Amino acid sequence: MLLLGDARLPTGGHTQSGGLEPALLAGMAAGDIPAYLTTRLRTTTLVDAATAVVALRTLRAGGAVELVEQAWAARTPSHVVRQASEELGRGYERLLTRLDDLTPRPVRRGEPRPIAVARLAARLDVAATDLARVICHDDVQSVCAAALKLAPLDPVDTVAWALDVAPLVERVVAQVADLRTPADIPAPAAPAAEIWQHAHATAPRRLFRA
Amino acid sequence: MPDSPDSPDSIHAPTRALRLGIAGPVGTGKSSLIATLCRTLADRLQIGVVTNDIYTDEDAQMLRAAGVLDPARIRAVETGACPHTAIRDDITANAIAVEDLEADFAPLDLVLVESGGDNLTATFSPALVDAQIFVLDVAGGGDVVRKGGPGIARADLLVVNKIDLAEYVEVDHELMVEQGRDARDGRPVLGLSRKRPETVAALADWVQATLVAHRDGTHEPVDPGPMAPHAHTDGTVHSHEHAAHTP
Ligand SMILES: Nc1nc2c(ncn2[C@@H]2O[C@H](COP(=O)(O)OP(=O)(O)OP(=O)(O)O)[C@@H](O)[C@H]2O)c(=O)[nH]1
Ligand SMILES: [Mg+2]
Repeated sequence: MLLLGDARLPTGGHTQSGGLEPALLAGMAAGDIPAYLTTRLRTTTLVDAATAVVALRTLRAGGAVELVEQAWAARTPSHVVRQASEELGRGYERLLTRLDDLTPRPVRRGEPRPIAVARLAARLDVAATDLARVICHDDVQSVCAAALKLAPLDPVDTVAWALDVAPLVERVVAQVADLRTPADIPAPAAPAAEIWQHAHATAPRRLFRA
Repeated sequence: MPDSPDSPDSIHAPTRALRLGIAGPVGTGKSSLIATLCRTLADRLQIGVVTNDIYTDEDAQMLRAAGVLDPARIRAVETGACPHTAIRDDITANAIAVEDLEADFAPLDLVLVESGGDNLTATFSPALVDAQIFVLDVAGGGDVVRKGGPGIARADLLVVNKIDLAEYVEVDHELMVEQGRDARDGRPVLGLSRKRPETVAALADWVQATLVAHRDGTHEPVDPGPMAPHAHTDGTVHSHEHAAHTP
Protein backbone atom coordinates (compact mmCIF):
# COMPACT_ATOMS: atom_id res chain seq x y z
CA MET A 1 0.00 0.00 0.00
CA LEU A 2 2.86 2.35 0.78
CA LEU A 3 4.35 1.55 -2.61
CA LEU A 4 1.08 2.31 -4.38
CA GLY A 5 0.83 5.67 -2.67
CA ASP A 6 4.41 6.68 -3.39
CA ALA A 7 4.87 9.38 -6.02
CA ARG A 8 8.07 7.61 -7.06
CA LEU A 9 6.11 4.64 -8.35
CA PRO A 10 7.05 4.59 -12.04
CA THR A 11 3.59 4.77 -13.56
CA GLY A 12 3.64 8.18 -15.20
CA GLY A 13 2.01 10.14 -12.36
CA HIS A 14 4.38 13.07 -12.87
CA THR A 15 2.61 13.89 -16.14
CA GLN A 16 -0.67 14.60 -14.31
CA SER A 17 -1.92 17.58 -12.33
CA GLY A 18 -5.27 16.18 -11.18
CA GLY A 19 -7.08 18.76 -13.26
CA LEU A 20 -5.29 21.62 -11.53
CA GLU A 21 -3.45 23.03 -14.54
CA PRO A 22 -6.68 23.24 -16.57
CA ALA A 23 -8.40 24.92 -13.60
CA LEU A 24 -5.68 27.54 -13.24
CA LEU A 25 -5.58 28.12 -17.00
CA ALA A 26 -9.34 28.71 -16.84
CA GLY A 27 -8.75 31.47 -14.31
CA MET A 28 -9.25 29.76 -10.96
CA ALA A 29 -7.22 31.66 -8.34
CA ALA A 30 -4.26 29.87 -6.79
CA GLY A 31 -5.75 30.74 -3.40
CA ASP A 32 -8.66 28.43 -4.21
CA ILE A 33 -6.52 25.31 -4.53
CA PRO A 34 -7.48 23.99 -1.05
CA ALA A 35 -11.17 24.41 -1.96
CA TYR A 36 -10.45 22.70 -5.28
CA LEU A 37 -9.02 19.74 -3.38
CA THR A 38 -12.15 19.47 -1.27
CA THR A 39 -14.45 19.68 -4.28
CA ARG A 40 -12.43 17.06 -6.09
CA LEU A 41 -12.52 14.67 -3.13
CA ARG A 42 -16.31 15.00 -2.94
CA THR A 43 -16.78 14.39 -6.69
CA THR A 44 -14.20 12.93 -9.09
CA THR A 45 -12.08 11.31 -6.43
CA LEU A 46 -15.12 9.81 -4.73
CA VAL A 47 -16.13 8.22 -8.04
CA ASP A 48 -12.60 6.86 -8.56
CA ALA A 49 -12.32 5.50 -5.02
CA ALA A 50 -15.74 3.83 -5.27
CA THR A 51 -14.86 2.39 -8.69
CA ALA A 52 -11.61 0.97 -7.34
CA VAL A 53 -13.32 -0.70 -4.38
CA VAL A 54 -16.07 -2.24 -6.52
CA ALA A 55 -13.46 -3.38 -9.06
CA LEU A 56 -11.36 -4.99 -6.32
CA ARG A 57 -14.36 -6.93 -5.00
CA THR A 58 -15.35 -7.93 -8.52
CA LEU A 59 -11.82 -9.15 -9.30
CA ARG A 60 -11.61 -11.10 -6.03
CA ALA A 61 -14.94 -12.76 -6.84
CA GLY A 62 -13.56 -13.71 -10.27
CA GLY A 63 -16.04 -11.43 -12.05
CA ALA A 64 -15.58 -9.25 -15.12
CA VAL A 65 -14.75 -5.59 -14.62
CA GLU A 66 -16.34 -4.36 -17.87
CA LEU A 67 -19.53 -3.33 -16.08
CA VAL A 68 -17.51 -1.51 -13.42
CA GLU A 69 -15.64 0.29 -16.17
CA GLN A 70 -18.90 1.26 -17.85
CA ALA A 71 -20.25 2.62 -14.58
CA TRP A 72 -17.08 4.68 -14.16
CA ALA A 73 -17.25 5.96 -17.73
CA ALA A 74 -20.89 6.98 -17.27
CA ARG A 75 -19.78 9.11 -14.31
CA THR A 76 -16.77 10.57 -16.13
CA PRO A 77 -18.39 12.36 -19.05
CA SER A 78 -15.37 14.01 -20.71
CA HIS A 79 -13.49 11.74 -23.06
CA VAL A 80 -10.39 13.84 -22.41
CA VAL A 81 -10.57 12.99 -18.71
CA ARG A 82 -11.29 9.34 -19.43
CA GLN A 83 -8.35 9.16 -21.81
CA ALA A 84 -5.95 10.66 -19.27
CA SER A 85 -7.13 8.10 -16.70
CA GLU A 86 -6.70 5.29 -19.20
CA GLU A 87 -3.16 6.40 -19.96
CA LEU A 88 -2.37 6.28 -16.27
CA GLY A 89 -3.99 2.85 -16.19
CA ARG A 90 -1.54 1.67 -18.84
CA GLY A 91 1.30 2.79 -16.60
CA TYR A 92 -0.03 0.60 -13.78
CA GLU A 93 -0.54 -2.24 -16.22
CA ARG A 94 3.12 -1.99 -17.28
CA LEU A 95 4.08 -2.35 -13.65
CA LEU A 96 1.79 -5.32 -13.07
CA THR A 97 3.12 -6.96 -16.21
CA ARG A 98 6.61 -6.70 -14.81
CA LEU A 99 5.60 -8.03 -11.38
CA ASP A 100 3.94 -11.08 -12.86
CA ASP A 101 6.47 -11.63 -15.63
CA LEU A 102 3.71 -11.49 -18.18
CA THR A 103 4.39 -10.71 -21.80
CA PRO A 104 3.12 -7.18 -22.28
CA ARG A 105 -0.05 -7.28 -24.33
CA PRO A 106 -0.22 -4.81 -27.19
CA VAL A 107 -2.77 -2.54 -25.52
CA ARG A 108 -4.11 0.37 -27.45
CA ARG A 109 -6.28 1.60 -24.64
CA GLY A 110 -5.73 1.04 -20.95
CA GLU A 111 -8.24 0.46 -18.23
CA PRO A 112 -9.00 3.58 -16.19
CA ARG A 113 -6.70 4.32 -13.29
CA PRO A 114 -9.06 3.11 -10.49
CA ILE A 115 -9.48 -0.29 -12.14
CA ALA A 116 -5.80 -0.66 -13.00
CA VAL A 117 -4.87 0.19 -9.41
CA ALA A 118 -7.50 -2.28 -8.17
CA ARG A 119 -5.77 -5.00 -10.21
CA LEU A 120 -2.49 -4.17 -8.50
CA ALA A 121 -4.25 -4.11 -5.13
CA ALA A 122 -5.68 -7.56 -5.83
CA ARG A 123 -2.19 -8.77 -6.75
CA LEU A 124 -0.62 -7.23 -3.64
CA ASP A 125 -3.39 -8.21 -1.18
CA VAL A 126 -4.29 -4.62 -0.36
CA ALA A 127 -7.53 -4.21 1.62
CA ALA A 128 -10.46 -2.29 0.11
CA THR A 129 -10.21 0.56 2.61
CA ASP A 130 -6.48 0.92 1.99
CA LEU A 131 -7.11 0.94 -1.75
CA ALA A 132 -9.67 3.73 -1.35
CA ARG A 133 -7.21 5.67 0.79
CA VAL A 134 -4.46 5.23 -1.82
CA ILE A 135 -6.73 6.52 -4.59
CA CYS A 136 -7.58 9.61 -2.51
CA HIS A 137 -4.01 10.21 -1.38
CA ASP A 138 -2.63 9.88 -4.91
CA ASP A 139 -5.19 12.34 -6.20
CA VAL A 140 -4.55 14.88 -3.45
CA GLN A 141 -0.80 14.61 -3.92
CA SER A 142 -1.04 14.92 -7.71
CA VAL A 143 -2.76 18.24 -7.22
CA CYS A 144 -0.35 19.37 -4.48
CA ALA A 145 2.79 18.40 -6.42
CA ALA A 146 1.51 20.07 -9.57
CA ALA A 147 0.59 23.18 -7.57
CA LEU A 148 4.28 23.66 -6.79
CA LYS A 149 5.05 23.81 -10.50
CA LEU A 150 2.13 26.07 -11.34
CA ALA A 151 1.78 28.60 -8.51
CA PRO A 152 4.21 30.50 -6.30
CA LEU A 153 4.15 28.43 -3.11
CA ASP A 154 6.25 27.20 -0.27
CA PRO A 155 6.29 23.38 -0.58
CA VAL A 156 5.42 22.97 3.10
CA ASP A 157 2.09 24.72 2.45
CA THR A 158 0.94 21.86 0.24
CA VAL A 159 1.74 19.36 2.96
CA ALA A 160 -0.49 21.36 5.29
CA TRP A 161 -3.28 21.26 2.66
CA ALA A 162 -2.96 17.48 2.36
CA LEU A 163 -3.24 17.16 6.13
CA ASP A 164 -6.21 19.54 6.23
CA VAL A 165 -8.20 17.29 3.89
CA ALA A 166 -7.22 14.08 5.71
CA PRO A 167 -10.52 13.94 7.68
CA LEU A 168 -12.43 14.31 4.40
CA VAL A 169 -10.34 11.50 2.89
CA GLU A 170 -11.37 9.29 5.80
CA ARG A 171 -15.02 10.17 5.20
CA VAL A 172 -14.65 9.19 1.52
CA VAL A 173 -12.99 5.93 2.54
CA ALA A 174 -15.86 5.14 4.93
CA GLN A 175 -18.40 6.06 2.27
CA VAL A 176 -17.00 3.64 -0.33
CA ALA A 177 -15.68 0.87 1.93
CA ASP A 178 -18.67 -1.44 1.64
CA LEU A 179 -19.66 -0.88 -1.99
CA ARG A 180 -20.08 -4.01 -4.07
CA THR A 181 -21.81 -3.50 -7.40
CA PRO A 182 -21.38 -0.99 -10.24
CA ALA A 183 -24.75 0.55 -9.40
CA ASP A 184 -23.43 1.35 -5.90
CA ILE A 185 -20.88 3.81 -7.30
CA PRO A 186 -22.08 7.34 -6.46
CA ALA A 187 -22.57 9.80 -9.29
CA PRO A 188 -21.65 13.31 -8.11
CA ALA A 189 -20.58 15.83 -10.76
CA ALA A 190 -18.17 18.76 -10.89
CA PRO A 191 -19.24 20.34 -14.19
CA ALA A 192 -16.96 23.37 -14.09
CA ALA A 193 -13.82 21.30 -13.43
CA GLU A 194 -14.91 18.82 -16.09
CA ILE A 195 -15.33 21.57 -18.68
CA TRP A 196 -11.92 23.01 -17.78
CA GLN A 197 -10.28 19.61 -18.11
CA HIS A 198 -12.10 18.91 -21.34
CA ALA A 199 -10.53 22.04 -22.82
CA HIS A 200 -7.03 20.93 -21.83
CA ALA A 201 -6.59 18.65 -24.82
CA THR A 202 -6.21 21.72 -27.01
CA ALA A 203 -4.66 24.16 -24.51
CA PRO A 204 -1.64 25.79 -26.17
CA ARG A 205 0.74 26.05 -23.21
CA ARG A 206 0.74 23.19 -20.79
CA LEU A 207 3.13 21.33 -18.58
CA PHE A 208 0.79 18.49 -17.69
CA ARG A 209 -1.15 15.95 -19.66
CA ALA A 210 -4.30 16.49 -17.58
CA MET B 1 -4.41 -10.63 -18.22
CA PRO B 2 -4.11 -11.78 -21.79
CA ASP B 3 -0.64 -11.96 -23.14
CA SER B 4 0.37 -12.21 -26.70
CA PRO B 5 3.42 -13.80 -28.26
CA ASP B 6 3.69 -11.16 -30.95
CA SER B 7 3.66 -8.24 -28.56
CA PRO B 8 5.49 -5.24 -30.00
CA ASP B 9 7.48 -4.98 -26.82
CA SER B 10 9.41 -8.23 -26.72
CA ILE B 11 12.91 -7.08 -27.35
CA HIS B 12 13.82 -8.37 -30.80
CA ALA B 13 10.35 -8.93 -32.19
CA PRO B 14 10.12 -7.94 -35.83
CA THR B 15 8.07 -4.80 -35.25
CA ARG B 16 10.35 -3.42 -32.58
CA ALA B 17 12.22 -0.44 -33.99
CA LEU B 18 15.65 0.79 -33.00
CA ARG B 19 14.77 3.31 -30.32
CA LEU B 20 17.27 6.14 -30.44
CA GLY B 21 17.31 8.85 -27.78
CA ILE B 22 18.54 12.40 -28.48
CA ALA B 23 19.58 14.28 -25.33
CA GLY B 24 21.55 17.43 -24.58
CA PRO B 25 21.16 20.96 -23.24
CA VAL B 26 18.50 23.40 -24.48
CA GLY B 27 19.00 24.74 -27.97
CA THR B 28 21.96 22.61 -28.99
CA GLY B 29 20.07 21.38 -32.05
CA LYS B 30 18.29 18.17 -31.04
CA SER B 31 15.14 18.88 -33.05
CA SER B 32 17.20 20.03 -36.01
CA LEU B 33 19.26 16.85 -35.87
CA ILE B 34 16.06 14.80 -35.90
CA ALA B 35 14.76 16.80 -38.87
CA THR B 36 18.07 16.25 -40.64
CA LEU B 37 17.95 12.50 -39.97
CA CYS B 38 14.38 12.26 -41.22
CA ARG B 39 15.25 14.20 -44.35
CA THR B 40 18.29 12.02 -45.02
CA LEU B 41 16.89 8.61 -44.10
CA ALA B 42 13.15 8.84 -44.82
CA ASP B 43 13.43 7.17 -48.20
CA ARG B 44 15.43 4.29 -46.73
CA LEU B 45 13.83 3.79 -43.30
CA GLN B 46 10.40 3.88 -41.69
CA ILE B 47 10.70 6.48 -38.94
CA GLY B 48 8.65 7.73 -35.97
CA VAL B 49 9.41 10.59 -33.56
CA VAL B 50 8.47 11.29 -29.93
CA THR B 51 9.22 14.75 -28.52
CA ASN B 52 9.26 15.77 -24.85
CA ASP B 53 8.60 19.46 -24.72
CA ILE B 54 8.83 21.25 -21.46
CA TYR B 55 6.22 23.91 -21.91
CA THR B 56 4.77 23.66 -25.39
CA ASP B 57 4.63 21.23 -28.22
CA GLU B 58 6.97 23.56 -30.08
CA ASP B 59 9.37 20.76 -31.03
CA ALA B 60 6.63 18.53 -32.40
CA GLN B 61 5.14 21.47 -34.32
CA MET B 62 8.54 22.49 -35.66
CA LEU B 63 9.18 18.97 -36.91
CA ARG B 64 5.70 18.64 -38.38
CA ALA B 65 6.15 22.00 -40.11
CA ALA B 66 9.52 20.93 -41.49
CA GLY B 67 7.56 18.49 -43.64
CA VAL B 68 10.16 15.77 -43.32
CA LEU B 69 7.77 13.15 -41.95
CA ASP B 70 4.05 12.38 -41.95
CA PRO B 71 2.80 14.58 -39.04
CA ALA B 72 0.94 11.61 -37.56
CA ARG B 73 4.29 9.93 -36.95
CA ILE B 74 5.37 12.74 -34.63
CA ARG B 75 3.95 12.52 -31.09
CA ALA B 76 4.45 14.98 -28.23
CA VAL B 77 4.56 13.82 -24.61
CA GLU B 78 3.95 16.21 -21.70
CA THR B 79 6.41 15.65 -18.91
CA GLY B 80 4.87 17.69 -16.09
CA ALA B 81 7.98 19.89 -16.06
CA CYS B 82 10.09 16.80 -15.34
CA PRO B 83 12.02 16.18 -18.57
CA HIS B 84 14.71 14.32 -16.70
CA THR B 85 12.23 12.03 -14.90
CA ALA B 86 10.43 11.26 -18.15
CA ILE B 87 13.49 9.71 -19.79
CA ARG B 88 15.06 8.16 -16.75
CA ASP B 89 13.20 7.50 -13.45
CA ASP B 90 9.69 7.12 -14.83
CA ILE B 91 9.68 6.41 -18.54
CA THR B 92 6.02 5.33 -18.61
CA ALA B 93 4.59 8.10 -20.80
CA ASN B 94 7.44 7.89 -23.31
CA ALA B 95 7.45 4.09 -23.43
CA ILE B 96 3.73 4.11 -24.16
CA ALA B 97 4.15 6.73 -26.89
CA VAL B 98 6.92 4.68 -28.53
CA GLU B 99 4.93 1.45 -28.33
CA ASP B 100 1.89 3.16 -29.86
CA LEU B 101 3.93 4.55 -32.75
CA GLU B 102 5.44 1.12 -33.39
CA ALA B 103 1.98 -0.43 -33.38
CA ASP B 104 0.31 2.26 -35.49
CA PHE B 105 2.96 2.30 -38.21
CA ALA B 106 4.34 -1.21 -38.02
CA PRO B 107 6.92 -2.10 -39.03
CA LEU B 108 9.01 0.92 -38.06
CA ASP B 109 12.79 0.79 -38.37
CA LEU B 110 13.65 3.74 -36.19
CA VAL B 111 11.94 5.70 -33.41
CA LEU B 112 13.71 8.91 -32.39
CA VAL B 113 12.95 10.21 -28.87
CA GLU B 114 13.90 13.83 -28.21
CA SER B 115 14.47 14.66 -24.58
CA GLY B 116 13.22 18.03 -23.36
CA GLY B 117 16.38 20.14 -23.32
CA ASP B 118 17.81 19.75 -19.86
CA ASN B 119 21.28 19.90 -18.42
CA LEU B 120 24.49 17.94 -18.74
CA THR B 121 23.34 15.15 -16.41
CA ALA B 122 20.19 14.03 -18.24
CA THR B 123 20.53 10.65 -19.94
CA PHE B 124 18.03 8.08 -21.14
CA SER B 125 17.28 4.89 -19.28
CA PRO B 126 18.29 1.87 -21.38
CA ALA B 127 14.78 0.58 -20.71
CA LEU B 128 13.44 3.37 -22.95
CA VAL B 129 16.03 3.58 -25.73
CA ASP B 130 18.48 1.15 -27.30
CA ALA B 131 21.05 3.82 -28.05
CA GLN B 132 21.44 7.52 -27.41
CA ILE B 133 23.10 10.56 -28.93
CA PHE B 134 24.21 13.42 -26.71
CA VAL B 135 24.21 16.78 -28.50
CA LEU B 136 26.42 19.74 -27.60
CA ASP B 137 27.03 22.76 -29.76
CA VAL B 138 30.03 24.97 -30.34
CA ALA B 139 28.06 28.02 -29.17
CA GLY B 140 27.85 26.55 -25.67
CA GLY B 141 31.59 27.08 -25.38
CA GLY B 142 34.71 25.03 -26.03
CA ASP B 143 35.00 23.97 -22.39
CA VAL B 144 31.65 22.14 -22.12
CA VAL B 145 33.20 18.86 -23.22
CA ARG B 146 35.75 19.11 -20.42
CA LYS B 147 32.98 19.69 -17.89
CA GLY B 148 31.90 16.16 -18.67
CA GLY B 149 28.88 14.27 -17.40
CA PRO B 150 27.46 10.84 -18.13
CA GLY B 151 26.02 11.81 -21.52
CA ILE B 152 29.24 13.37 -22.74
CA ALA B 153 31.33 10.51 -21.42
CA ARG B 154 29.21 7.50 -22.26
CA ALA B 155 26.39 8.18 -24.73
CA ASP B 156 26.69 5.95 -27.79
CA LEU B 157 27.54 9.01 -29.88
CA LEU B 158 28.58 12.52 -28.88
CA VAL B 159 27.71 15.20 -31.41
CA VAL B 160 29.43 18.59 -31.43
CA ASN B 161 26.84 20.50 -33.42
CA LYS B 162 26.76 23.75 -35.44
CA ILE B 163 30.44 23.60 -36.37
CA ASP B 164 29.64 26.11 -39.11
CA LEU B 165 29.31 28.67 -36.29
CA ALA B 166 32.63 27.83 -34.64
CA GLU B 167 34.57 30.75 -36.11
CA TYR B 168 31.90 33.25 -35.01
CA VAL B 169 31.95 32.12 -31.40
CA GLU B 170 35.73 31.70 -31.35
CA VAL B 171 35.71 28.02 -30.60
CA ASP B 172 38.08 25.46 -32.08
CA HIS B 173 35.57 22.73 -32.96
CA GLU B 174 38.27 20.27 -33.97
CA LEU B 175 39.81 20.61 -30.54
CA MET B 176 36.34 20.09 -28.99
CA VAL B 177 35.93 16.86 -30.94
CA GLU B 178 39.39 15.74 -29.93
CA GLN B 179 38.76 16.47 -26.27
CA GLY B 180 35.49 14.59 -26.62
CA ARG B 181 37.38 11.51 -27.82
CA ASP B 182 39.73 11.79 -24.85
CA ALA B 183 36.84 12.09 -22.41
CA ARG B 184 35.10 9.07 -23.96
CA ASP B 185 37.74 6.37 -24.09
CA GLY B 186 37.51 6.22 -27.85
CA ARG B 187 33.72 6.16 -28.15
CA PRO B 188 32.62 8.02 -31.28
CA VAL B 189 32.40 11.81 -31.51
CA LEU B 190 31.07 13.65 -34.53
CA GLY B 191 31.43 17.29 -35.52
CA LEU B 192 28.15 18.18 -37.25
CA SER B 193 26.58 20.99 -39.19
CA ARG B 194 23.43 20.64 -41.20
CA LYS B 195 25.13 22.93 -43.68
CA ARG B 196 27.98 20.46 -44.27
CA PRO B 197 26.66 17.45 -46.18
CA GLU B 198 29.68 15.25 -45.42
CA THR B 199 28.97 15.54 -41.67
CA VAL B 200 25.29 14.79 -42.21
CA ALA B 201 26.27 11.71 -44.21
CA ALA B 202 28.55 10.58 -41.38
CA LEU B 203 25.66 10.92 -38.90
CA ALA B 204 23.31 8.95 -41.14
CA ASP B 205 25.96 6.25 -41.56
CA TRP B 206 26.35 5.94 -37.79
CA VAL B 207 22.58 5.54 -37.36
CA GLN B 208 22.44 2.92 -40.13
CA ALA B 209 25.34 1.00 -38.62
CA THR B 210 23.72 1.11 -35.18
CA LEU B 211 20.48 -0.17 -36.68
CA VAL B 212 22.31 -3.06 -38.31
CA ALA B 213 24.06 -3.91 -35.03
CA HIS B 214 20.75 -3.67 -33.17
CA ARG B 215 19.11 -6.06 -35.61
CA ASP B 216 21.82 -8.68 -35.62
CA GLY B 217 22.00 -8.56 -31.83
CA THR B 218 25.55 -7.21 -31.55
CA HIS B 219 24.45 -3.82 -30.20
CA GLU B 220 24.23 -3.84 -26.42
CA PRO B 221 22.17 -1.00 -24.88
CA VAL B 222 24.46 0.83 -22.48
CA ASP B 223 23.49 3.01 -19.58
CA PRO B 224 25.65 6.16 -19.63
CA GLY B 225 25.00 7.04 -16.03
CA PRO B 226 24.36 8.75 -13.74
CA MET B 227 26.37 6.44 -11.55
CA ALA B 228 30.04 7.27 -11.07
CA PRO B 229 32.57 4.52 -10.43
CA HIS B 230 32.23 3.57 -6.78
CA ALA B 231 33.72 1.29 -4.18
CA HIS B 232 32.06 -1.67 -2.51
CA THR B 233 32.72 -2.71 1.07
CA ASP B 234 34.57 -5.80 -0.14
CA GLY B 235 37.21 -3.50 -1.59
CA THR B 236 36.34 -3.93 -5.26
CA VAL B 237 35.92 -0.80 -7.32
CA HIS B 238 33.84 -0.80 -10.43
CA SER B 239 31.72 1.33 -12.67
CA HIS B 240 28.33 0.34 -14.05
CA GLU B 241 28.95 1.53 -17.54
CA HIS B 242 28.62 -1.91 -19.04
CA ALA B 243 25.66 -2.97 -16.93
CA ALA B 244 23.52 -5.21 -19.07
CA HIS B 245 20.09 -4.13 -20.21
CA THR B 246 17.17 -6.04 -18.75
CA PRO B 247 14.48 -6.31 -21.37
N1 LIG C 1 24.15 27.41 -37.77
C1 LIG C 1 23.54 26.31 -37.35
N2 LIG C 1 22.45 26.41 -36.59
C2 LIG C 1 21.84 25.28 -36.18
C3 LIG C 1 22.31 23.99 -36.53
N3 LIG C 1 21.50 23.06 -35.97
C4 LIG C 1 20.56 23.75 -35.29
N4 LIG C 1 20.76 25.10 -35.41
C5 LIG C 1 19.94 26.17 -34.83
O1 LIG C 1 19.97 26.09 -33.43
C6 LIG C 1 18.74 26.52 -32.86
C7 LIG C 1 18.21 25.49 -31.88
O2 LIG C 1 17.94 24.31 -32.61
P1 LIG C 1 16.88 23.20 -32.11
O3 LIG C 1 16.99 22.07 -33.06
O4 LIG C 1 15.55 23.82 -31.92
O5 LIG C 1 17.52 22.85 -30.70
P2 LIG C 1 16.97 21.85 -29.59
O6 LIG C 1 18.13 21.21 -28.95
O7 LIG C 1 15.94 20.97 -30.17
O8 LIG C 1 16.29 22.88 -28.60
P3 LIG C 1 15.30 22.54 -27.37
O9 LIG C 1 14.34 21.50 -27.86
O10 LIG C 1 14.63 23.87 -27.09
O11 LIG C 1 16.16 22.09 -26.27
C8 LIG C 1 17.80 26.78 -34.02
O12 LIG C 1 17.76 28.16 -34.28
C9 LIG C 1 18.46 26.03 -35.15
O13 LIG C 1 18.16 26.58 -36.40
C10 LIG C 1 23.48 23.92 -37.36
O14 LIG C 1 23.99 22.86 -37.73
N5 LIG C 1 24.06 25.12 -37.73
MG1 LIG D 1 13.99 20.65 -29.57
